[in-house]
Amino acid sequence: MDLLHNPEFGDKLVTLMAAFVLVLQIAMVGQRSLVMNIRLFAAQSFLLGAIAGSIAWYNHAPHIFIAAGMTILLKAILVPIVLERLVDRIDIHHEIAPILNTPLSIMISGGLTLVAYLVGESFYHPEAGAASLGHNTLAVAISVFLIGFFMMINRRKALTQVLALLTLENGIFLAATCLTYGMPLIVELGVFFDVLVAVLVLGILVYRIRESFESMDVSKLRRLRG
Amino acid sequence: MPWLNACFTGGLIAYLAGTAAGIAGFRVPRRARIGVFGCALAGALLEIIAAVVALARGGVTTWNLPFGVPLFSWAIRVNALSAYFNLTLGILAAAVSVYSFGYLRQMEGRRNIGVLGCFYNILLLSLTLVFAAGNAFFFLVAWEIMALAAWGLVSFEHEKERTRRAGMLFLIMSHAGSGLLLIAFLILARASGSLDFATFHHVASALPAWQQGVVFLLFFLGFGVKAGVVPLHVWLPEAHPVAPSNISALMSGIVIKTGIYGMALVFFDFFDAPPAWAGILVLSAGVLSALLGVLYALMEHDLKRLLAYHSIENIGIILIGFGAAMIFRTLGHPTLAAVALIAGLYHTLNHAIFKSLLFLGAGAVHHSTGTRNMEEMGGLIRRMPVTALCFLTGAIAISGLPPLNGFVSEWLTYQALLAGFGSTQSLTRVIFPIAGALLALTAALAAACFVKAFGISFLALPRSENAAQAHEAPLSMRLGMGFLAAGCLALGLGATWFLPVFDPITEQLIGARVSSALTAANGFAISAGTAHAGTVSTVGIAAMLVLLSAIPAFFWLVWGRAGRRATGPTWDCGLPGLTADNEYTATGFSKPIRMIFSALYRPRREIQAEYEVSPYYPTAIRFESGIEPSFEKRMYDPFRNWLYRMAGRMRSVQAGSIHAYLAYIFVALLALLLFGVRR
Repeated sequence: MDLLHNPEFGDKLVTLMAAFVLVLQIAMVGQRSLVMNIRLFAAQSFLLGAIAGSIAWYNHAPHIFIAAGMTILLKAILVPIVLERLVDRIDIHHEIAPILNTPLSIMISGGLTLVAYLVGESFYHPEAGAASLGHNTLAVAISVFLIGFFMMINRRKALTQVLALLTLENGIFLAATCLTYGMPLIVELGVFFDVLVAVLVLGILVYRIRESFESMDVSKLRRLRG
Repeated sequence: MPWLNACFTGGLIAYLAGTAAGIAGFRVPRRARIGVFGCALAGALLEIIAAVVALARGGVTTWNLPFGVPLFSWAIRVNALSAYFNLTLGILAAAVSVYSFGYLRQMEGRRNIGVLGCFYNILLLSLTLVFAAGNAFFFLVAWEIMALAAWGLVSFEHEKERTRRAGMLFLIMSHAGSGLLLIAFLILARASGSLDFATFHHVASALPAWQQGVVFLLFFLGFGVKAGVVPLHVWLPEAHPVAPSNISALMSGIVIKTGIYGMALVFFDFFDAPPAWAGILVLSAGVLSALLGVLYALMEHDLKRLLAYHSIENIGIILIGFGAAMIFRTLGHPTLAAVALIAGLYHTLNHAIFKSLLFLGAGAVHHSTGTRNMEEMGGLIRRMPVTALCFLTGAIAISGLPPLNGFVSEWLTYQALLAGFGSTQSLTRVIFPIAGALLALTAALAAACFVKAFGISFLALPRSENAAQAHEAPLSMRLGMGFLAAGCLALGLGATWFLPVFDPITEQLIGARVSSALTAANGFAISAGTAHAGTVSTVGIAAMLVLLSAIPAFFWLVWGRAGRRATGPTWDCGLPGLTADNEYTATGFSKPIRMIFSALYRPRREIQAEYEVSPYYPTAIRFESGIEPSFEKRMYDPFRNWLYRMAGRMRSVQAGSIHAYLAYIFVALLALLLFGVRR
């Protein structure tokens, strides 16, 4: 029962889970099936909740538990359900059409991870002692953020862009949790509400785009240009 | 303190109530009109009391408005200068609100008076706050609200293409000016470490020389746009005429004076002694604005556009006073600086009063004849005698003729310029007489212009059916105009008793009290305050006028009653009767000036005659003449074309593809991240 009270172990646990978050992110870049992508996102969000939970446990910050619970409830359960129902409704299951092909995309993701480590390194101050927890986790958070952004650019369909935006938000959440051990609760709640509204609005928007253009391809939106 | 605070805040609340009344009255025009302008009138009277209390007490009063927005302080700072401008605002707002009761009755049912009233109250509220704001942030917020409210009022008759264009031009130029002000305030805030105006006192003079220059130019251009200084004036003759006339009166009377207030604040409070070239620049800009304003005004036949150009002229006269004051201050003549500053500030109040009076008069004429074109008026003095008398009072005042108020402030400006010639050295010495001569030319041309404006509009026979059926304005409109006309007379005759008002202002800005030196003969005459300066008495001139008019009355009493009165037709060269077609036209009247200054105007004329048998018997002649809008054509058009070309090039970036936009953001983000790491 010593492990449950050893902050060093907690640090390693968080780093391990953060690594899995990154792995899942890169898996999403490579995965072509839409439903599979949504499930990968659910898994990633669940891990994120777990990370928040462990930080809360090992640093004795009970208010982060609320954030962790909200993350799991919203991002790992509610949002995936909404998205899968949307997929059923618009009847597209496995056509993620990236602009760049899969091998190249994964190479770029690797490159972005390198950039993220470069950036994360500059925030790493080992002399600061206990606050150095952020080192690996911050780099992972930045790479999740950058890869999420890259996914948004790389995909044509509106729904997959929504998904990419959500993973990008996961990256921001991870960065916020590991750097500050949780933002003020009111900010967290605001962010969650934001995500929920964004998903609902974007879901409707995706549906309307599909109705109007007979496709989810956002490149067709060029026609709206004056 | 409690009195001042209560009246000031009460005025603001009254304006807010007026705004609410406007919104509530969107559907009931009659109640909206009474509610809106009733509230505005109450607010204006309370603000007048607050301003008078503040001026009487002197010193600085500050407090915070409890707006409940954290991080920002909504500091009100009432000192002599801001109280003076708030007094001007209150006087105008009261007169214009009374006038509006009658003026807008015609619009009931046709237009949404609620919207107008709502913007009207917001404008008054924001103007009050502009003059009373105690920190730069609050000032800019009020400044922007003022610009937006004014835009809403200018664009009120938005179904006309011309109105929309004028409103847009005003908005664009106003925002460009605000941008410059923002930069300038931020530079000062960095130097003083705070946004409070109290900490800005003399802080600009502590900056390095080149920064002083930059700050000065930014402020001058930023406030100059609002004031309508040539060549930043092009929005003014477009925007002022298209607004309803009560709004034009406020725009010309007080909105452009916010620029003057800003300049007074910057040049005399934020700067200790501005660089020498700055004063010369302001003086030159003033002379240029005055001369070009009146020259363009002479060519206008649209009564309200003519008045708008005169606003540019008068802003120029005010700036001549300011520029002279700046030069004197830099050269170390505080008394002279105070005299010149008083001349500028006095002219600010005077211009506010007579220009609003003239705009209200033009509004009454438009209200009654439905036209703004002077060539379609004529003969109105018989049909609208009170309006004609009020307009004539305003015309005499703006022409700078004694004994009205315009004369006093222009006379003081001359005296300051003449004293400047006597007490300065070298190059600056030459500037003063040149400026004085050009100011004299301006005043003469202004008089000519108002002979035209009054003569063509009000005298002789009506030139159109509308003018023939004109009727006198309703009582409330006459009251509004009469109040301002009385103000012109009071500020002219009572000038010496009004001058002590300036003591706290000059003491605050320059550190000199001069009103007692300016008063001579127990207050019945004004002196210029220096050894060999002139002295003039408006009361004396008025008394002289009354006495001289007794002479013809005497002769009439002695011989007139015995004489025989014969009434006959005017000699008409044998033509069959004189009609309005035989009258002198505005175009004809201004022809000599158009010829003398043809290098500036580049006049264009076109005559087309149609005939059937012989060119000596034309069936129809079409004549067209116009002048070239030099500033628009030579300065603004090239700039606009350049802007459009640049925008065309930027267009390829806006591809309309979401992926491209995302990629822009992504690349920018990566670049910033890597840049951050490199640091």
